[in-house]
Amino acid sequence: HKPISSVSSGCQQGGCLTCSDYNGCLSCKPRFFMHLERIGMKQIGVCMTSCPPGFYGTRSPERNTCTKCRSECDSCFNKNFCTRCRAGFYLHLGKCQENCPEGLVRSDTQRECVS
Amino acid sequence: CLCCFLRPGATGQGHATPAVCSPSCSCDEDGGADCSARGLTTVPTGLSAFTYYLDLSMNNITELPAFIFKNFPYLEELRLAGNDLSFIHPEALSGLHQLKVLMLQNNQLKTVPSAALKNLHSLQSLRLDANHITTVPEDSFEGLQQLRHLWLDDNNLTEVPVGSLRHQANLQALTLALNRISYIPDNAFANLTSLVVLHLHNNRIKEIGENCFSGLVNLETLDLNFNNLMVFPKAIEALPKLKELGFHSNDIASIPEGAFHNNPLLRTIHLYDNPLSSVGASAFQNLSDLHSLMLRGASMMKDFPILTSTNNLESLTLSGTKISTIPANLCEDLKLLRTLDLSYNEIEALPSLQGCVRLQEISFQHNHIQQIDRHTFQGLSALRLLDLSRNEIRVIDRDAFLTLSALSNLDLSMNSLTVIPTSGLSALSQLKLSGNPQMKNVLPAKTLPKLRSISVPYAYQCCAFVGCDSMASSSEESDMKKSTGGEDVERISMIMHCSPSPGAFKPCEHLLGNWM
Repeated sequence: HKPISSVSSGCQQGGCLTCSDYNGCLSCKPRFFMHLERIGMKQIGVCMTSCPPGFYGTRSPERNTCTKCRSECDSCFNKNFCTRCRAGFYLHLGKCQENCPEGLVRSDTQRECVS
Repeated sequence: CLCCFLRPGATGQGHATPAVCSPSCSCDEDGGADCSARGLTTVPTGLSAFTYYLDLSMNNITELPAFIFKNFPYLEELRLAGNDLSFIHPEALSGLHQLKVLMLQNNQLKTVPSAALKNLHSLQSLRLDANHITTVPEDSFEGLQQLRHLWLDDNNLTEVPVGSLRHQANLQALTLALNRISYIPDNAFANLTSLVVLHLHNNRIKEIGENCFSGLVNLETLDLNFNNLMVFPKAIEALPKLKELGFHSNDIASIPEGAFHNNPLLRTIHLYDNPLSSVGASAFQNLSDLHSLMLRGASMMKDFPILTSTNNLESLTLSGTKISTIPANLCEDLKLLRTLDLSYNEIEALPSLQGCVRLQEISFQHNHIQQIDRHTFQGLSALRLLDLSRNEIRVIDRDAFLTLSALSNLDLSMNSLTVIPTSGLSALSQLKLSGNPQMKNVLPAKTLPKLRSISVPYAYQCCAFVGCDSMASSSEESDMKKSTGGEDVERISMIMHCSPSPGAFKPCEHLLGNWM
């Protein structure tokens, strides 16, 4: 699902620790994910509780970052494990493939391999 | 019929009627409602009963009372992250039979709200990360037969929630990272036969049972980075499908023989930042999917690792060891090798690397190499960077660089050279020769047409490259003119950087050697 409106940029966001009016969040409060949104030529820092669609979050003691999923995934758990596929791909055990393993069939509504 | 393909409530008649919505939210015609970051303290009223996606994250909802979502029977995704939630009534989520995704991260929960979760039979993804959970009751996930993805990272768990995971045969991805787990007992994940990803990084894991990963027959990714393991995790023997393994930043001192003999599908192994001193020679054998191997500082390691059938290696780094010989047949197995870093070892002689035809970067820096033979680098037409600095090289065969048509960066500094062969170096743009005190001859600049940067043992040798003002008439100076060709002097000196550059105190004359 594409969010209807992403979290407001600039300095008014709840998760910002330091920010600038031009580049939005420069650092986030603990446990928030930092994501760089591109708006035209500008990059705006956004602090989120979960990364936007097409990105996954990695937590670490120092910082929490959003990283792009593989191209065939709409959403993912990490770089190699998808949780939802792009149209034309079907999910099985974390992989988005154009075909399903033997014994499973493609479900277009769920974009998954189903029995 | 058309509407079967549409989500319940979506109009589908081609013209958009305004979606039923709450003033506190923005809604789309598909049944999505975004009420995030509105300062709400409870679930807003006025939303459509057909809402399937509801985002309430980043508000001030600290409690969820009973039946608060009873009007949303079609809800599939519910986001409640970042609300300071500390209490969820056991009946708060009643009626959400189609809920697939529940996001409760970044709240104040101290335990898993197991009663509230009990009837979410369609739930696939549950996020409980970034709370303050210290306990996971045994029945926490009992009703969740469809659960695939579970986030429990960034909490205060001190042990693996073995009991609550016992019935999760469909779970595929689990993260317990950033907790305070110090031990993994045997059979901790025994029934998780569908698990593909397990993240345990940033805990305090000091010891693990030899059978702690038993049952994880489909596990592909295991992340044990940033823990306190002192012994190599032998329990990985139970993981036949393992592809990505990380145990960097631990306290492991040795990797045993046959360490990965049961993990033939391994692609990446991250093991840096461990106080490794010894590595079993057969540890990395038969890993035909391994792309890169990086071992630094295994200071007691004497034998070059056996890499038979590890034939898809593209990058090999073995530095800071006591390895003194390289197997002659190294390139028979490593035909796809692109970068080879064997710096800071005790290597005395080099075999022919002829078979490693894709090599682009080689570093043998800081070894005990004394000579370079004709065949050492023969046929390496893709080689761009060659670092042989800090060795004891006295002799380089005249044709040693003949076939290195792509070589752009050559470092021979800090050796014992008197001369260097330049045939084959037509593409060279950077050459380092400093620290070869016996090399006093004038260098043939003409044979290095693409050179842009050079460091030489003596300042006067730069005059052949940068055209000095105070050129004396000594015989050596006339050689310089012949070798550079008068008309090129202006062009070369414009784009060439040479050090040590000649000047008032380092004239072009070869006086008492390089005394500055």
